Amino acid sequence: MSEWFAACSAGLRLQARQFGKARVIICLTVVEALTFLFLVSLFGLTGSKAPTAIIMQDHGALAQSFVTDLRNDHHSFRLEVMGATEAKQLLDRGDLVAIITIPADFSSTVRSGHTAAISVAVDNVDADLTDDIQRAVPAAIETFGVQHHFGGIRVAPAEHDLIGHDTAYIPYLVVSALALDALVVAGALAATAMAGEWENRTLVQWRLAPASMTGVLIGKLITVVAVSTVAVWMAALLVFFGYGVHPHSLPGALSALVLCTVIFAAIGACVGNLLRKTLPVATLFFGLALPLYIDSGSLEPERFDGGWLWFVAHLTPVYAAVGVLQSAINGLKVTPEPVAVDLGILLLWAVAAVAVAHSILQRARRAQ
Amino acid sequence: MILYWVALDATVTSALYVAGVQPRVFGKRAGRSGTPDAPPTTLAAIHADPAVEFSEVTRRYGQRTALDAVTFSVGTGSVLGVLGPNGAGKSTLLSTLCGLQEPDGGAVRWFGRNERVPLPKALRRRLGVVTQDTALYGELTVRQNLRFAADLYRVPSAAHAVEHAAGLLSVSHRLDDAVGELSGGNQRRVAIARALIHDPDLLVFDEPTLGVDIETRHAIWSYVRQLRNRRKTIVVSTNYLDEALALCDRVILLRNGRLMSEGTPDEILERTGRCVEIDCAAEAAETIVASLEGLEDIAAVNVAETVLTVRLTGNGDANRVVETALTSRHVEGFRVRAPDLLEVFQSLADTAA
Repeated sequence: MSEWFAACSAGLRLQARQFGKARVIICLTVVEALTFLFLVSLFGLTGSKAPTAIIMQDHGALAQSFVTDLRNDHHSFRLEVMGATEAKQLLDRGDLVAIITIPADFSSTVRSGHTAAISVAVDNVDADLTDDIQRAVPAAIETFGVQHHFGGIRVAPAEHDLIGHDTAYIPYLVVSALALDALVVAGALAATAMAGEWENRTLVQWRLAPASMTGVLIGKLITVVAVSTVAVWMAALLVFFGYGVHPHSLPGALSALVLCTVIFAAIGACVGNLLRKTLPVATLFFGLALPLYIDSGSLEPERFDGGWLWFVAHLTPVYAAVGVLQSAINGLKVTPEPVAVDLGILLLWAVAAVAVAHSILQRARRAQ
Repeated sequence: MILYWVALDATVTSALYVAGVQPRVFGKRAGRSGTPDAPPTTLAAIHADPAVEFSEVTRRYGQRTALDAVTFSVGTGSVLGVLGPNGAGKSTLLSTLCGLQEPDGGAVRWFGRNERVPLPKALRRRLGVVTQDTALYGELTVRQNLRFAADLYRVPSAAHAVEHAAGLLSVSHRLDDAVGELSGGNQRRVAIARALIHDPDLLVFDEPTLGVDIETRHAIWSYVRQLRNRRKTIVVSTNYLDEALALCDRVILLRNGRLMSEGTPDEILERTGRCVEIDCAAEAAETIVASLEGLEDIAAVNVAETVLTVRLTGNGDANRVVETALTSRHVEGFRVRAPDLLEVFQSLADTAA
């Protein structure tokens, strides 16, 4: 038995020492644990507080009661009473999911036994959200009727869509999936390609040669982008022709996907040069994939989540990529920033990533 | 008894020794017997036209000094051996020489010019380096590896250059095999072919024969000699003294980052002295050691089971040692050989002390 414990103790000390020499992996293990927690939390947090404005043109008791029912019946909305002008501005800017207007004659109409029409203006960027509104308002009407012993329906919603066309749940959802494809495929491929040069010490060839190291890096990235583009395009074509999602502009959609693979390949090269180990970089990209997917606005535009979730989303290029891809594929504007700004942000990411990679390679050439 | 040891140890060395001929088991001339057309490189030529000059070069890693004010030069068209045990600073010296590291102190001149790291492109084109780990792409074929190197150096007619370099190193028949499938020796040949592909003037080999079989080792020696014949300047680091003696015009010895000695292989041997190994029964060793006491030719005696190793002083007379040992009548055999690297360092340390 003591022999067994001695062996166990040797194994324990061996692994502890190996971990001591693999600090990057240890750090990433902690990051992984946090990202999975983050992922699950995001599932619950995103889309749970859709900002909705209430315009109270009637301040009577029945109107107040109806608003209370609206608040109580559906917890997916964050209802806020505001003026008509402000609400219109916020809806147009993309800060609100919907505006529910309680008309001035609401109380008198309901009390007189007639049906009051409630105007509901919806940002129908995502049919899933529109469906939520369509479910929430009738539910509140029913509760309101039961509470006040009104026979029959006395309130009817009148929906006005902000966008001329509806985007179904799957077409909305898959755009983020394609952005994620580009991130994982191009990012992980580029990162492992560069990390491999360090890990296998083949980078010394680059350092010794008279050739530009950044030139060799860009050459490798072009190949990575070519391979990644084929992979992402295959997924996109399956979405377009298999799922029946008709892109707003096919050339635009395919071009946007190429752009995303370029950006993410550049970021991957940067990460590969920083971490210099293939296993950690691959783990990092796959580990970050799902949290970034959720926080990229995959379920609804991230702008509706507000606060820190939206702030965090801005820290990742996936957010801007989804903005560009939603515009190209579904013709939607899902970020408050114009698509041109999203494009600019993506290009900045790429330039910064290549600049960091270039700097690391130059430092490697200067000294070890 | 005398005849008995002759029978036991019927080596050419011993026979020559008995015949009164001073044998050269190792050494520059013995090593180069296969290359009679090698142009002579005189010391004057080496110093007159140095390809690389190290002047008081120091390199530190934190608190540790890897190179400590090292000064030497490598003559154009000559072969310099960098000798030293593991951790002596050989790889650091070679990295500095290749421009992979900037020295913390001192200066390095390449082809008469002071340069800073990163080295100018024109100079990098003149350098060919074989690193200790071959730094090849294992998943790619030999041809693809060589082609990548040719592209990096913008070698004209790259396809032809690949075939030529592979031919020089006798790996033409493996051109389309993945490097990862090759033996360690063949991988080393490919690494050398890669370093040669752009026809550099200065070649740096970091322990080129480490871990290869004897056949490949001698093949690599042969390539180095061919390169020397083509007036290439070569710097080769090695753990093996016999390798340095066989290949090099000059040798520098490093220990703990310091240059302990420098000279031609013959000069090094003259400074350190040869070794006499005496075979005997274990119980007779003390008697033989006692018989050798008082001889001025002896620097140190080491007894290991049935072999006595007598390290001679620089000008120690092996004849006298052998004759004295024979008087004990317990000698079963003997041989005279060049010292190994450890013995050289021990000898130099003794001299310094």
